[in-house]
Amino acid sequence: MSDSRSADRLGAELAELKAAAAHNGGRIRRLDGLRWPRGARIAVNITVDFDAMLLRRLNNEPPMELAKGEFGGRVGIWRLLELFEAHAIKATIFTPGRICELYPEALRAAVAGGHELADHMWEHRVPKEPSLARDHLLKTAAALKAIGGRRPVGSRSHYPAALLREEGFIYNSHGAPSHRPYYVLDERGRPLVLELPFHFAIDDAMFFSFAWYRSGNAGQRLADTDRVFDLWLAAFQQQYRQAGYLNICLHPFVSGRALRIAMLDRLIAAMKASPGVWFASCEEVARHCLAAHPAGAPAAAAASPSGA
Amino acid sequence: MPWKQGYTISDEKSLADGEVRWPDGKRCAIHIVVDLSVARGAEGIGPRDLASPAAQFGLNDGLDLLLDALARQALRATFAVPAVLAECYPDRVKEIVRLGHEVAAHGFKHEDVSALSRDEEKARIALATELLGAISGVRPAGWFALPRQKDAFAGGAISANTMGLLLEAGYDYMGNGLADDLPHYWVTDFASRQAILTLPYYYHFDDQFFCLFPTEGTGLENPDALLRNWRAELDAQYRRGRFFGITLHPQHIGWCHRLAGLEEFLGGLAGRALWNPTGVELARYWMAAYPAARSLKLAPSIWQDYPGSLS
Repeated sequence: MSDSRSADRLGAELAELKAAAAHNGGRIRRLDGLRWPRGARIAVNITVDFDAMLLRRLNNEPPMELAKGEFGGRVGIWRLLELFEAHAIKATIFTPGRICELYPEALRAAVAGGHELADHMWEHRVPKEPSLARDHLLKTAAALKAIGGRRPVGSRSHYPAALLREEGFIYNSHGAPSHRPYYVLDERGRPLVLELPFHFAIDDAMFFSFAWYRSGNAGQRLADTDRVFDLWLAAFQQQYRQAGYLNICLHPFVSGRALRIAMLDRLIAAMKASPGVWFASCEEVARHCLAAHPAGAPAAAAASPSGA
Repeated sequence: MPWKQGYTISDEKSLADGEVRWPDGKRCAIHIVVDLSVARGAEGIGPRDLASPAAQFGLNDGLDLLLDALARQALRATFAVPAVLAECYPDRVKEIVRLGHEVAAHGFKHEDVSALSRDEEKARIALATELLGAISGVRPAGWFALPRQKDAFAGGAISANTMGLLLEAGYDYMGNGLADDLPHYWVTDFASRQAILTLPYYYHFDDQFFCLFPTEGTGLENPDALLRNWRAELDAQYRRGRFFGITLHPQHIGWCHRLAGLEEFLGGLAGRALWNPTGVELARYWMAAYPAARSLKLAPSIWQDYPGSLS
């Protein structure tokens, strides 16, 4: 192989990578200088992914795995609702549409408690076919509206941002390119939806659910609650120091276990001990961000790797 | 499609804390399960499993140490015993019975039954029941399908027929379910409301996933995390007045520092208003106090089939 052919190929590779970096950088807009209402020093979203056994079922896992998920519907969701009530916290329950048929009573209790119901796909998947994806999104929106009395405005899903926007959703809570809320932009740099970032490091299942995401036995998720309490409180304190944002992701079949409810009770109390903590639903945080940084406004200091 | 089959096995909501009552005004129940299986793979106990140092320790020194630890605290346990193991170690099983513990079935050889035909599984349940009853002197009332260290999922393997077959074979209870942290009814037929009582199990309270064995399980030594889990769950469930269960394996928990941790934990139980039944005592109390006919609330299904989604 000649030197020039090799140089050409490496040059093409470099151009491809630069294009990808520019493209990715151009698809998000950070909300520079974002401040919270009433001088709050941090916004905390407690989010509940109420999939129960749906993902286990989708992955064709064995009967006992489904029963493990069922704990979330029979027991866990109720305990989380009691915990939130005890602390006067409004949470967001990301709910697959199918759950409306499995656990309507718990969802009605969540709505009565003032919590937000939001989309978490129909059966915990986004179909590849665009028309079926839209069908699933609309079915879930209708099912949640039938229970909660209003159409959901948020999602935690892989639905395309353009589809969410078309169907009236204002936010998604799924990405992690930034640890603070940001806009997802279309190809022409126009905002589609707000992202309320979520990170697996603040997700109970990552620490407590054996075989999560097909992890093998050596990739064990058997942490004890003291360890996770320490990690999450450290995350909170780090964000608190910089007027930041924390999204805590809980699964009723994981965090609904008695020892973890006790840990969360301690954690919420520890967070509340600091002044200026804004515990809000995702919708409240999203609406605040949209009002303070309107999507239509020019991207004054939009950050991207190329500085565009 | 009938009810929510393939998704849920019981009713929509568990008992609230305030609805739970235990005998003699006790505040919380503690169920200790000892798994005597030494199976390492899905095929169940084979000659090579019995030859392993862990098995030899577990069925001899380890079991002695565990029986002593329980006796010192006057605690009773349910021993989940594969039928082939009872045949190979009949004296050990008789000793367990003599000390006041319960002997329950743990499969013919703790094999994965999920791919067996209904007839084959039925025949194995019948044989295991007969062998265990002949050796222990009492027909087993409980059946277990606990996980092994190497299993991809830590819940234990059953087939679609297992629960129904256990009812047919006259079992009072199935020993390990994950859908609740109280005894609960596993519905086998929604139309006729047939159900088998299922006792709670959770792998975060099972020693085998926290004890090192380099090529099996996690390969990591975390008995301190196990102890913290036990303490945290017992405290929380005691406050709620519910139930706490642990699962032990003599080949794991019987070793040195792990045994010391267990003894410290068991010693800390004294002074609490705990009820310590064996599995069958727990099951019979529950079926009398909370009979399925009264407590199982199977709401009419609103589940539908839709084109483009799973049934």
